[in-house]
Amino acid sequence: MAHSESSWIDALSSDDRREQYGRIVRERNEKVHAFLEFDPGRHVSGARSDSAPDAASLRGMPFAVKDNIAVEGFRLSCGSRILEGFTSPYTATAVQHLIDAGAIVVGKTNLDEFGMGSSTENSCYGPTSNPWDATKVAGGSSGGSAAAVAAGMVPFALGSDTGGSVRQPAAFCGVYGLKPTYGSVSRYGLVAYASSLEVIGVASRTVGIAEAVFHAMRGSDMMDQTSMDASAEAVDQAAHEVRTIGVLSGELGLVPAVERAYRLSIERLKKFGYQIREITLPTLEYVVPVYYTIAAAEASANLARFNGIRYGVRPDYAENPDELVRIARDSGFGSEVKLRVLLGTYVLRSGFQDQFYVRAQKIRTAVRNDFARVFNEVDLVLMPVFPTLAFASGGKADALDPFQQKVADRFTSAANLAGLPALSIPVSIEEGLPAGVQLLARSFAEQQLFAVARRMEEEFPAQNPPDFPSKWS
Amino acid sequence: MDKTELAVTAELAHINLKDEEYDSLGRAVDQMIEYFSVMSKVDVEGLEPTTHALLEQNRLRPDELSEMTIADRLVENAPELEGRLIVIPNVL
Repeated sequence: MAHSESSWIDALSSDDRREQYGRIVRERNEKVHAFLEFDPGRHVSGARSDSAPDAASLRGMPFAVKDNIAVEGFRLSCGSRILEGFTSPYTATAVQHLIDAGAIVVGKTNLDEFGMGSSTENSCYGPTSNPWDATKVAGGSSGGSAAAVAAGMVPFALGSDTGGSVRQPAAFCGVYGLKPTYGSVSRYGLVAYASSLEVIGVASRTVGIAEAVFHAMRGSDMMDQTSMDASAEAVDQAAHEVRTIGVLSGELGLVPAVERAYRLSIERLKKFGYQIREITLPTLEYVVPVYYTIAAAEASANLARFNGIRYGVRPDYAENPDELVRIARDSGFGSEVKLRVLLGTYVLRSGFQDQFYVRAQKIRTAVRNDFARVFNEVDLVLMPVFPTLAFASGGKADALDPFQQKVADRFTSAANLAGLPALSIPVSIEEGLPAGVQLLARSFAEQQLFAVARRMEEEFPAQNPPDFPSKWS
Repeated sequence: MDKTELAVTAELAHINLKDEEYDSLGRAVDQMIEYFSVMSKVDVEGLEPTTHALLEQNRLRPDELSEMTIADRLVENAPELEGRLIVIPNVL
């Protein structure tokens, strides 16, 4: 077969083509370890529906799903030993919508255990490496999804974004990463980590694909009581043309390469005719401790179900059920998960709840108010995604330790606290690595994000990593 | 955090920590709790806690019977089964 580019919708259109697709992806997976499970022939079938908008553009497209989102017949490890071998008995609503639109799940991608991390090094099944530089992390927690897209293995991959987990790996790998409005996409089938913060998102090769995927998978769902449709008001507002974009003033604490990309994106936006206005968000100073307090608290509640009784791995022998639970959890959870569960348990303990958890939820209201004020002045907000480019994987010189990784979540976690949609956009290649930037909008204003991102894409589309030339487009 | 505090917390979280973990996790927890203390500087007077960023009210569904059709498949995932019952060690 000729190696000139063919279309993604042809990649699985015949036995021969599927075989070739499978071979190329497996080869690439040897290098990046993006997939934990890959089977392009498993062909998850679903009822055809013509109600999904843009259905035509996704029909036949292969896609990957982060391994904390349920797809019937595929495993659901969440990157953890405690769910080793667990096969999902059902499919997440968001995934089902995409299947109904004709897209085809080809595999499950690697992640930081239960979504906890910023590098995918916390996966119990080994890390995912960055397709641009094998010594660097792919980012996290949806590192597998972002890497799979960047390495040309799939045109899009689903992830989950709790504190930046779609946007940051997308920025590290040089692809688009959408975090939708909280509640706009059903969480039914997403293994819960922090229920009030997370949403299923998508890493994609192009803005057009992100938009099509978002429209296909969104919608209020009876199985997720926190899901909702946009109000008529919000729909109206989102149709307005973007005129002004707010940028943070002052020292942002970025490494020079990321600072360059940030300034470059401002210049581009000015060139396109957007009015750039300096804004301040004083509550940004507190978003990281607030985020981690809330996320850890919710995680401790959500992960209580993993006890080796009804599913998952359990020790061969225990004296009594209590022991069984303790041993299962000790041997099944990695250290980052244990840390967050312990932290969460601590901040919810009577005596500490007011000082930590309730206080964090109140400061969260202040963060929402801060953004509401800013969105009275501007249509969108431009922010960096992460203070550094993809950092070195563990043990090497410019690696970030777990604490440093957390503190660096200050730009991404704000959108999760406020429930706002955000899109990370590739801006340039600096020192051989992708640099991105993110745009935030009012709730349900994803259309405005896509509109501006398309302009940016005309100037600088997602690039191919040198080792992974694109085979399909 | 002293070892007793951490032990109580681990007890509540139903996780058996090994001795080495008391040290490493203890330090990591301390670092985070210390980091959280910056929240005490914020004036939270008049602020209500946020639990859902956007929704004002609870969403209800109609009080109608529906069938759970995948019960068998769910039970199949249990590590040890006897018929349709899940086997666990003796409680007593």
